[in-house]
Amino acid sequence: MTLPDAIRTESLTKYYGAVVALESLDLTVATGEIYGFLGPNGAGKTTTIRILLDLVRATSGRARVDGLDCRAASVDVRRRIGYLPAEMPLYREMTGIAYLQFLAALESRRVDESYRRKLFARFDVSDIDLRRRLDHLSHGMKRKFGIIQALMGRPPLLILDEPTSGLDPLMIEAFAETVHELKTEGRTTIFLSSHVLSEVERLCDRVGIIRRGKLVRQTSIADLRRDTPRRLRVFFDGAAPSPPSSLAAAVRRSDTRHWELEWPGPLGGVLDALQGLADIEIEPFKLEDYVLKIYSGTPGAGA
Amino acid sequence: MFVALVRRSFARHRALIAALTALLSAFQILDIVVAYKLQQNAVYSQFAAMVPSFIQEAMGGALVGTFLGAIAVGFVHPLVMLSLSCAAIYLASEPAGEVEEGLVDLVVARPVPRHVIVSRSMVVYVTGTFVVVAAMFATSRATVHWLMPGQAHVVAASRLAWLAFNLLAIVWSLGAAALAFASHVRERARAAGTIALLAVFLYLLQFGAAAWEPLRPFARVSPFHYYATMQTLMGQVTPATHIAGLLTAAVILLGVAYVLYERRDL
Repeated sequence: MTLPDAIRTESLTKYYGAVVALESLDLTVATGEIYGFLGPNGAGKTTTIRILLDLVRATSGRARVDGLDCRAASVDVRRRIGYLPAEMPLYREMTGIAYLQFLAALESRRVDESYRRKLFARFDVSDIDLRRRLDHLSHGMKRKFGIIQALMGRPPLLILDEPTSGLDPLMIEAFAETVHELKTEGRTTIFLSSHVLSEVERLCDRVGIIRRGKLVRQTSIADLRRDTPRRLRVFFDGAAPSPPSSLAAAVRRSDTRHWELEWPGPLGGVLDALQGLADIEIEPFKLEDYVLKIYSGTPGAGA
Repeated sequence: MFVALVRRSFARHRALIAALTALLSAFQILDIVVAYKLQQNAVYSQFAAMVPSFIQEAMGGALVGTFLGAIAVGFVHPLVMLSLSCAAIYLASEPAGEVEEGLVDLVVARPVPRHVIVSRSMVVYVTGTFVVVAAMFATSRATVHWLMPGQAHVVAASRLAWLAFNLLAIVWSLGAAALAFASHVRERARAAGTIALLAVFLYLLQFGAAAWEPLRPFARVSPFHYYATMQTLMGQVTPATHIAGLLTAAVILLGVAYVLYERRDL
């Protein structure tokens, strides 16, 4: 028997008055997958997440989590989700530990104390930090409490909105380590919205890119890596020859000493065609370049 | 889950509840001590003559200038009624505050049914105001016993309890209106402020109706209209009908709150 998708939206549409927040969004996230949900500010990422959590109601269309309708089986859906909002709401007057205990009391499953202790250790949260009032903590420390509250119930689906915003590099590493660990265990699906594209590229199996409420592209990082044209700079001993016909269309710029090419697919074809090569620079694939083209609406960047 | 939410809400509002309890209980003591001094100096008849008749009527009738009437002031004074009403309104407006502060993203993102949020706020505003009025009642009784050990029967505890319950019914109906409005809007100040202003307006409507005949038909919409202070204290009426009417209005408004909160975007 095949497992239902962890998340599936069908023609999901949301209007706020005359403003279109989402328009016919069809999204699928497989169980066990780490999915990066990308888009510029105001693209509809948070609205999508809030519909999944039944915090806002779709104007039309459906959203499902583990095959359950997010509206009709809202409580069952939320039982499966650990959520980290982009802007961490806090009861400022509470201590860190009281905050986590309060949130644990709202969970349907018992929070494993040993796992919580492990998270404290990993995110470097000391007993002193736990006893301090939340309004006395730094932004980064508050963010750590946000991550811990989302993870501590060991939910099968994690929805993390800008998880590493405000974290220092060590803590970003701790977060990445946690994500890898959850992926290895294979029990957790992670739906991650982020503007840190290097992080998405590193952590995610697939990405969905949303712009102005519409899903522009949904693909795996591996496919993107394969399909995105690579930028090469080829230097020659002496004067650069005329590009052979097999490369002519790919050459973007050339002068007497070098060519600049954008080449889609495996690079073997380029290397075979090159004669008199002195040096070659190949820019590594960067999700950022691809995504920025989509954000800016460059033709041909989307699907 | 429900207990955790109720405890959290009480923790957030404990200063307000404690301060109001202390203030209104102190008011009872002050009121009865002043009444006792007036009685000792036999100045009630002069006092009654100084108060215009429409104010006497608004405050419960001709018995204003009596010791019994002075005790009732502790439960009928505009400051008491409006401060209690505003406290109930503020406590009941918490759902709008949670949306405004984003706290709802933490709470309702967990397996917490939406109706639990409304039930939580209902329990908190009903219990919070009950605690304040119970303390006022206990303080009033204790002060009468302290000052007039032999004459505490002047005000029967059961009559004072009816008065207190009638006051609570008014406060609860206004709290229910605030909860219904807070289940629709996104800002707590808007929810609490609007209903608090409405409460003041309804109080003035009832007060004005005592002085100006044409206003009387409209005073029926004011919950303060259903508060027959002196008749209740004298045992002339039992305000069960008034209380039932006010509680029915509260239940209807709470029903509206559940429906609105269930349907809204958070």
